[in-house]
Amino acid sequence: MTANAPPAPDHMPPPRTEVGVIGWMSKNLFSSKFNVVLTLVSGAGIALALVYGLVWVFRDAEWGVIAQLGGRFIIGQYNTDLACPGNNCFWRPQASLMLVVALLGMVWGMTRDDVARNVALVVGIAAAAFAFLPYGFDKMGIDVRLLLLANLPALAIGYAAARYTPLGTGMRVSIAGVVIFVLTLLLLRGFSWMPGLQPVSVIYWGGLMINLILAVAGITLSLPIGIALALGRRSRLPVVKILCVGFIEIFRGVPLITLLFMSQVLIPLVFPENFPLNSLARAGIIITLFSAAYMAENIRGGLQALHPGQAEAARALGLAGWQTILFISLPQAIRNVIPAIVGQFIGLFKDTSLVYIIAMLDIVETGRTFILGNPEFLANAREMFVFLAVVFWIFTYGMSYISGRIEDKMGVGRR
Amino acid sequence: MAQAPASERRLPRFLTYHGIPLWRNIVVIQWAAQIVSAVVVVALVAWFFTNIGNAIQERDIPYGFSFLSREYQTPIGEHFIPYESSDTFLYALGVAFTNTLIVSVAGVVLATLLGIFIGVARLSNNWLVAKLATAYIEFFRNVPLLVQLLFWFFIFLTLPPVREGYVIGGLFYINNGGLSMPWALPTNIGLGLAWVAFAIVGLIAGMLVDKRLTQRETLTGKPAYPFISGLAAVAAVWLIGWILLTIIGGESPFSLSVPEPQGRFGRIEGGFTARAGLLILLLGLVIYTSAFIGEIVRAGIQSVGRGQTEAARALGLSPMDTLRRVIFPQALRVIIPPLISQCLNLTKNSSLGGAVGYTDLTNVAVTMTQTAPAVSIFMLIMAGYLAMSLAWSLVGNIYNRAIQFGGRSRL
Repeated sequence: MTANAPPAPDHMPPPRTEVGVIGWMSKNLFSSKFNVVLTLVSGAGIALALVYGLVWVFRDAEWGVIAQLGGRFIIGQYNTDLACPGNNCFWRPQASLMLVVALLGMVWGMTRDDVARNVALVVGIAAAAFAFLPYGFDKMGIDVRLLLLANLPALAIGYAAARYTPLGTGMRVSIAGVVIFVLTLLLLRGFSWMPGLQPVSVIYWGGLMINLILAVAGITLSLPIGIALALGRRSRLPVVKILCVGFIEIFRGVPLITLLFMSQVLIPLVFPENFPLNSLARAGIIITLFSAAYMAENIRGGLQALHPGQAEAARALGLAGWQTILFISLPQAIRNVIPAIVGQFIGLFKDTSLVYIIAMLDIVETGRTFILGNPEFLANAREMFVFLAVVFWIFTYGMSYISGRIEDKMGVGRR
Repeated sequence: MAQAPASERRLPRFLTYHGIPLWRNIVVIQWAAQIVSAVVVVALVAWFFTNIGNAIQERDIPYGFSFLSREYQTPIGEHFIPYESSDTFLYALGVAFTNTLIVSVAGVVLATLLGIFIGVARLSNNWLVAKLATAYIEFFRNVPLLVQLLFWFFIFLTLPPVREGYVIGGLFYINNGGLSMPWALPTNIGLGLAWVAFAIVGLIAGMLVDKRLTQRETLTGKPAYPFISGLAAVAAVWLIGWILLTIIGGESPFSLSVPEPQGRFGRIEGGFTARAGLLILLLGLVIYTSAFIGEIVRAGIQSVGRGQTEAARALGLSPMDTLRRVIFPQALRVIIPPLISQCLNLTKNSSLGGAVGYTDLTNVAVTMTQTAPAVSIFMLIMAGYLAMSLAWSLVGNIYNRAIQFGGRSRL
């Protein structure tokens, strides 16, 4: 700036049509004739949908059908007379839930990260909030409610254990996660030799519990298998490569429900007659392998996008082949395809609803069979499936929220 | 000179390869790895089939492919090619395959159109439209297809029966059986096919006119109205064909068939009736897949640099032309590969048809396993799905190659 330039005029406020609500609207809603029409049409559509939707949700819809099923949505027929004579098995899914909440608390205590905190708090508080469902005490006893409330202390204990004891390292929390998953399954399954833990056959497990078990098992196992397949597909060894390509293409080319149904027909033929492989395990294996084939392609994409100079530099620095892959290539490749991997996880969670084909009563099938079995509720199918859609949406949206926050933290797309 | 370590000097010859111990020689290790993995897989597959073979013998389970020439003896709810219960298993599988094929092709076309619309709407500078498209994508992408299909299924189930169904203008009939609409029927197969040939010729002529006039417009800078002229060319060829065929054949090649309720039960005759199963499956697949395609289209458009839009607008192209002639051809290169995988997904997702009463390939196969050997049926339908996957990949790859090179030469 030179000394003899005229002094800048005082800052004038911008014209009123350019700022504030009016400015925003004229820029974002009414910038051209076409946009005016668009705004009016879509605005009218939204208003109509909102009015009809709200009237339906609060006046016309009969949500009694959801209350009718209640706990069946969560645990299926687990605590019925058939599955558990005496109906005193309800505490086992609840104890499993507490273990999971404690694990979330441990992750929060270990990382002290705001994403982990939000997830742990939301899950823990939501679980505890179920204690206040407006059922009569004859339908939902005080013991059930107290166990639900106990999720909050479980969360606190998990947090404290990770934060103030030597348990709070990544390795130990991961081991705790595996232990808790296995413990949960054993607790739910029960043992014939242990009084108070009578075995509950897997065919009576159901509801959201099944979706979550399958999703967690599938997610944790499909990632390592997918990585192995992706590395195999990029291998220089022709035999390994052909085998991996064949596996990936076959599992990707056939619909999941075809594979699930096939597993039900074929596995009893392949294994001896008394082989202890129940329908839940079969579904878990098939869903995991199916997801692993997709995962392999995602990770292969990440590896291909990596500059070859990375691996060359690592080799030049003296790292062995496996060290290059494990410490240089894979971490970068996976970081770059986190959105695709999480998308695959979400797909896997949605796909757990397909187990209806092998007669497992997951949350969707519980609802469907209830409506088909009770024609008086046929008119309430709408409420049922809107409810199910919202349940799934909460989980999948939660997953993409977590993924988005992790990406932000790791700087995906910025570095 | 450093000597080789003592341990290696003492190795017998047969434990080394080119002077390197076997367990440290990369060539040997790689061969060993391949042989071991091949042996393991071959052993697994052999074990698999031996067990199946044993089970078949022990439990007296039917096997082989001889059932294919037997009569299927089961009705198939929806079929687009003529089918009787007395037809063979092989033919019934063919019917089921065409069912899957038709719903997939129709679904892909509709989902792509809707998806492009959603993707463009998501990038609209109109805040309301953009938010609406985002909400659409976020909702339908995150809810399992099965839940969506069942929602539509039960909506259809609670519609009134045929006699009391909704009628729109005496032309469209909507009831719990499906949707009936007016349809063009060929009066005579030869004339109909001849006019279809004219229609194809007309489309090609229209595209040529559009291309030629676009080139002229580019070279001379004078408006030549390529798109409108192209449409006019198409309409002219179609009309000429119609008139010619009417004169030659003595009757028009197609006649309009309007659905009409018949008899005491109001059964609807004439026109084209899309049964509820087909409609629900198509509706669910199109809405679900279009949400994914919308996201792909958005990413594709955003991958084209901002400068391209700005330059096109600065050169005086209208927003529509900017999108159609500048942005979209470039975005297609990013869009096509993931779009192909969505086509594959849609085809595979059509296997959920069984849940809503549509007799697709998987549904028919599942029914067949009650009267025929399951192993053979699954081999056949796996081959069917793999063939469809390969076909989509092939179509997509050919198109992809065409736009990678051909796309640039135009304009």
